[in-house]
Amino acid sequence: MPVSSQVHEKTPRPDFIRVEDFSFHYGEKQAIFGIDMAIPENEITALIGPSGCGKSTLLRNMNRMNDLIDGVRHEGDIRLDGVSLYDPSVEVISLRKRVGMVFQKYNPFAKSIYENVVFSLRVAGRNGKKELDETVERSLRDAALWDEVKDRLHDSAFGLSGGQQQRLCIARAIANRPEILLMDEPCAALDPLATLKIEELITTLKNRYTIVIVTHNMEQATRCSDRTAFLYMGKLIEYGKTVQVFENPKEEKTESYITGRFS
Amino acid sequence: MNSSPHILRDFDQAISSLKGEVLAMAAHTRLNLERAIRALMERNVELANSVIADDDEVDEAERVIDQLGMDILVKYHPMATDLRLVVSSMKISMNLERMSDHAVNIAKRAKKISNAPELSEVNLIEPLYTLADHLLRDAISSYSDGNGSLGASLHTRDKELDKMHKQTTAHFASRIEETQGRCQEYLHLIFIVRSLERVGDLSANIGEDAVYLEHAKDLRHKSKLEREMVEEG
Repeated sequence: MPVSSQVHEKTPRPDFIRVEDFSFHYGEKQAIFGIDMAIPENEITALIGPSGCGKSTLLRNMNRMNDLIDGVRHEGDIRLDGVSLYDPSVEVISLRKRVGMVFQKYNPFAKSIYENVVFSLRVAGRNGKKELDETVERSLRDAALWDEVKDRLHDSAFGLSGGQQQRLCIARAIANRPEILLMDEPCAALDPLATLKIEELITTLKNRYTIVIVTHNMEQATRCSDRTAFLYMGKLIEYGKTVQVFENPKEEKTESYITGRFS
Repeated sequence: MNSSPHILRDFDQAISSLKGEVLAMAAHTRLNLERAIRALMERNVELANSVIADDDEVDEAERVIDQLGMDILVKYHPMATDLRLVVSSMKISMNLERMSDHAVNIAKRAKKISNAPELSEVNLIEPLYTLADHLLRDAISSYSDGNGSLGASLHTRDKELDKMHKQTTAHFASRIEETQGRCQEYLHLIFIVRSLERVGDLSANIGEDAVYLEHAKDLRHKSKLEREMVEEG
């Protein structure tokens, strides 16, 4: 049975990712202050806010990327489908299989298109040609890149355009069938048309994945997200349906930020 | 509403010229209406002619406001209150343009009535005009001051004008039957009363736009209770 139809049969969980009174410190500096939010399954949630507001820190905590930094600590919890990310039974490697990530600057490996997509499978020791071939086609189709690269799968990834390289990174992120995709300003380095292609792709992916996207581009948040969270100085100021947040924000700080009257 | 300056000064300027154009158009429309009624009362054909001629300026104002609004949408992608201000300004200018058309209708009929022997019942128009003008005045204030409660109140107050419209029309209709010879003039008066009643409706529409501007709530075709909730803030 195709993955997409499996997903359609179940009811999306409203609090698939639950951030509970979560605070985060880089050494002495506190970056996040007691954030509570529930991120629904199969929706696109945008995190917006000025630089340094904690949105990328929050995103990177959702697959424990920040664990790699010295001197960090957290309070509160982030639960994925009810289970704490910090539960001793949770292995970081398996967590990252469930929670894929795409970065601001597209970062394909210095390998062929094919090898980029199957990289995580090879690391896990899965080298069967049939599985690898299927994964490459499925992932590249899902990333809306298959038709453009199917005849040159073994060419270097660096020969692709910027937008294609970013879609390749998305294909690589979904090769392992994660449940969640975290995107940290995925279009920041792309031209407007490549940006729209990624946005269209993100919209089609939400049937199968829960997507959390950090963006500085408010039009992007309005175009492709279902919910928007506005963060300021490490605090969650407002979180709601995207259309409501951008048409009639409840908080004055949100209004100031999105209308460009922020000092 | 947020009053701090925008980071882009041009944006603030564009928004304030849009608002300025709407208010100028509103003042012009109100003046046209006032002059049309005065032309009727004073049997002043020249004044009626100038109302008819000035309507072009109101039509032009509507075009200018639409263009300014579109320019702001294209250039700045406004959000929240700013977006609502652009949308409501464009809708209000459409309502004002229709009101000015009603002023022209009144002026045209005033000319015809002025050419016939004097009719004392023209005075019955005055209270309707006064109420319609107050509704228009308050509609403009609700937009310029972002006063949603005042905007929401116009719908109820317009009901009084509707009542007066019905009564006055019935009176003129009965006069048509009684005085066969003045049929034309009474018909003109019935249409003038109808225009004033429409000015009340259009003022209530502007009031609803002011509610949308302040609260992002759409009151069109909403129940009395929902309107009262907004009126009471």
